[in-house]
Amino acid sequence: MKQNEEETKKRYAMVVELKKCFNCKGCVVACRAENKVPLPISRNWIDESGVRGRYPFLGMTFEPAACNHCEDPPCERVCPTGATFRSPEGIVLVDNRKCVGCKYCILACPYDARSVNHRDRVIEKCTFCRHRLPEGRTPACVSTCMGHARHFGDILDPNSEVSRLLAEKDRYVKKKEAGTRPAFYYVY
Amino acid sequence: MKGREESDKRNEGRGDLGKLGVSRRGFLSLAAGSVAVQAASKGWKMLPKEAFADLGNREASEDVKVVPSVCGVCTNKCGVLARVVDGKVVKLDGQPDHPKSQGRLCARGQAMLEVTYDPNRLKYPLIRSGPRGSGRWRRASWEEALDYTAKNLLALKGKYGPEGVMFSSTEGFQEQFFIDLSEAFGSPNTFRHPTQCLVANNVAFFHTYGTVPVPDVANSCLIIMAGANRAEAIMTPDTIDLFQNLHHRNKFIYIDPRYTVTASKADIWVPIKPGTDLAMVLGMIHVMITEELYDKPFVEEYTHGFDKLEEHIQPYTPEWASKECEVPAEQIVEIARMFANAAPKCLFYFGRRSSFDRNQTQFRRAIAIINALAGNWDTLGGMLPPASARLGFTIIPPFPEHEAHRVDGLPESYPLNNTKDGVYHAGRASVLKGEPYPVKGWMIYKQNPLHGMPDRAKTQRMIDQMEFIAVIDILPTDMAWQADVILPEATYLEREDPLHTEKTIKPYVSYRQQAIEPLFETKPNFWIMKELAKRLGLGQYFDYDMKTYINNQMKRFPAEAKKALLERGVWVEPGYPRYGKHRARGTFLTPTKKIELYSTRFEKYGKAPLPVYEPLPEPPDGKYRLLVGRNAYFTHAALQNNRWLLALYPENRVWIHPEEARRIGVRDGALVELTSPVGKGTMKAYVTEAIRKDSIYMDHGFGHTSSGMEEAQGRGVSDQVLIEDLSDEISGGVCYHETFVAVRPAT
Repeated sequence: MKQNEEETKKRYAMVVELKKCFNCKGCVVACRAENKVPLPISRNWIDESGVRGRYPFLGMTFEPAACNHCEDPPCERVCPTGATFRSPEGIVLVDNRKCVGCKYCILACPYDARSVNHRDRVIEKCTFCRHRLPEGRTPACVSTCMGHARHFGDILDPNSEVSRLLAEKDRYVKKKEAGTRPAFYYVY
Repeated sequence: MKGREESDKRNEGRGDLGKLGVSRRGFLSLAAGSVAVQAASKGWKMLPKEAFADLGNREASEDVKVVPSVCGVCTNKCGVLARVVDGKVVKLDGQPDHPKSQGRLCARGQAMLEVTYDPNRLKYPLIRSGPRGSGRWRRASWEEALDYTAKNLLALKGKYGPEGVMFSSTEGFQEQFFIDLSEAFGSPNTFRHPTQCLVANNVAFFHTYGTVPVPDVANSCLIIMAGANRAEAIMTPDTIDLFQNLHHRNKFIYIDPRYTVTASKADIWVPIKPGTDLAMVLGMIHVMITEELYDKPFVEEYTHGFDKLEEHIQPYTPEWASKECEVPAEQIVEIARMFANAAPKCLFYFGRRSSFDRNQTQFRRAIAIINALAGNWDTLGGMLPPASARLGFTIIPPFPEHEAHRVDGLPESYPLNNTKDGVYHAGRASVLKGEPYPVKGWMIYKQNPLHGMPDRAKTQRMIDQMEFIAVIDILPTDMAWQADVILPEATYLEREDPLHTEKTIKPYVSYRQQAIEPLFETKPNFWIMKELAKRLGLGQYFDYDMKTYINNQMKRFPAEAKKALLERGVWVEPGYPRYGKHRARGTFLTPTKKIELYSTRFEKYGKAPLPVYEPLPEPPDGKYRLLVGRNAYFTHAALQNNRWLLALYPENRVWIHPEEARRIGVRDGALVELTSPVGKGTMKAYVTEAIRKDSIYMDHGFGHTSSGMEEAQGRGVSDQVLIEDLSDEISGGVCYHETFVAVRPAT
């Protein structure tokens, strides 16, 4: 039994190829539509550097971002009721039955990835579209990505696309110094 | 893209903290008070809870019906799978089998839900009850609205003849029925959008190659794009093919005066002086010919007039071009060599909107020529002859012959153009003059001339002189606001449309199936046309239903095609792309049966048969050249009422270089007043290094005035208010980049 569990163990991760993201924001709207996230909040967004330099020597980058689904999530640590938890696949989720709305998690998150959904009175955050995964569908943001910049999969499987990308390319995670060990990687 | 908006968005994206202006630290001190925490948790506990944060979870367990459809948000028409629960569309996903977007959807496509469920939608027919433009309407039944429309159209026909009514429409799967109605009615005056868009491309390529080719972006090793901002002006599959292959491709060169998102992704960005692209391409052609870098066997076998071109190109040296376009001569030479070295897997991509300036047709001709010199016709990674699937048709009685000539003087006035599309501004000028005959009625389907035609004041005068205007649309647009009767159409999710095929590399057929019943009292355009035709005594032209029409279209298809269309909404014809097949045949649909480097048709109609460069006037002191373009979040002027998209990009702002901004005393985000020879507007400034000092830029499509569109109204300025009514004399394409605008701080 124990061995069986080991075999089926998964660790989901998002890998973004930065060069291919061209800021179309299909991911942002797809997430809103899929998860019925009310305005003005959003579960994911794109960090834009803005135009840097002097004409014509210019640069500009785009960094899609959302919950990093950390291996050591600060939001889970501060949650007084245990509403925030990590699923066996490494997805950080909120059990709304246990959530009392103290918002400590919002303050604890180094990535600003949580917000209050006043319409449904819940804490809104990325779930890696957990409900789509059993049907074999990737998260809404990944499946709609026009530049094929977003990749999603199991990093414990060495043959998955995400593992391959992480093995092949230079990569970084956001706020490595926070020690949260994110599952949201950026590759060049 | 824009530093300032970024900060706006941070607030928007991260929920209520930012919105309330509470900083993280401030919130901490608030929350530290135990009273505050208790109060918060108390209120929280009393409320009903969902099981998990993922509300979508509920939907997964529900009965979901997946309906294949085709996105209707822009011209691309990508494949869509609509997820329907209880008669409501809950999500749109890309259709992976569809060759257009290959299973992907952009922000606009994803936001189509907000269009269908927009609270401002036109819900039932409206008849004007106050003065025109007053916004006073009364609700009417379809019966009454159609009778009213037919009565007015017949009265106009009696008074001015059928040509007294003009029919304007923009492409869509049900546009054909609107055009059929205009034909049956007997009016020659149909006006479509090409002169504001791609007419120069079409004219240039058609008269060079005898067809408008399709670029094989996915397989090309070197792509040059001039002003084709594919990251923000999304064209599928080109955008997807370009970005998906950025890593593997050798080079991507992008020419644009503006530092766009596409520029940020290019290997080489060429910051060219606006309006001089033709000079650069001529310089490149000069290099290719003098250094003998062109594909000699190809040029010899397939082209006409190379000797004339060789002679013609002599004065256009890279050094000359460099003076015109402010690109170093060495760079022009280098790019020309790179292009030639990558041949034939190279592309000088010709883009879509070509309505830049007076040189637009000759510029596109030069692009056609340089591609021919590289010999990339019908090769992997080059330019392919377009292919489309052959649809069957429904037989309808022959339309009556037009007695009158077109009001815009076509085909004589612009003999190289497609007559049925018309030349919009020429039509407007004639209507305003009342020559050669009065046009007093206007039927409009899915079009917004107030936002599409330069010099909005003129368009308004044209509206004012109309005796009757009927608009078929989904939103109370600025144009609908000026109508006498508004007929509300169903959005694409509520319709079943005829099959559609497009000229692409891989011929395919799409079938837009009906996902939900039409909301409110809206109707598909086909139904509206059919009912109107009955009342006009033209019922015989619409004596079929949609099912028959579609069945006839499918008649010749193999069984698996029908199955694929019904199940997946798309069928891709096997055996394509067929590289080299057309090359083997070797003839082109031009008078000389060859690729006409020297255009005999241009010569015949008195236009320069080889591209001649005409320098544009320089902006006078204190004025800037106005450039316009797109961003990735809106389709022209069609989506500005969409809250999901406005959250990404709330309004258009005028781009201005920091030095110029300092000189005129404008800060980023401050209101500025723009004055052009034809109009004025006040909007926010976006101070950025991404634009040259002699130019300003704004996004097209904002500045809506209709109070029926609560979200869109009053955001930004419409470029059409400012742009002068100028056009290219060969193709009639509008010159969007030839207006000079003064900028000063708004008082």
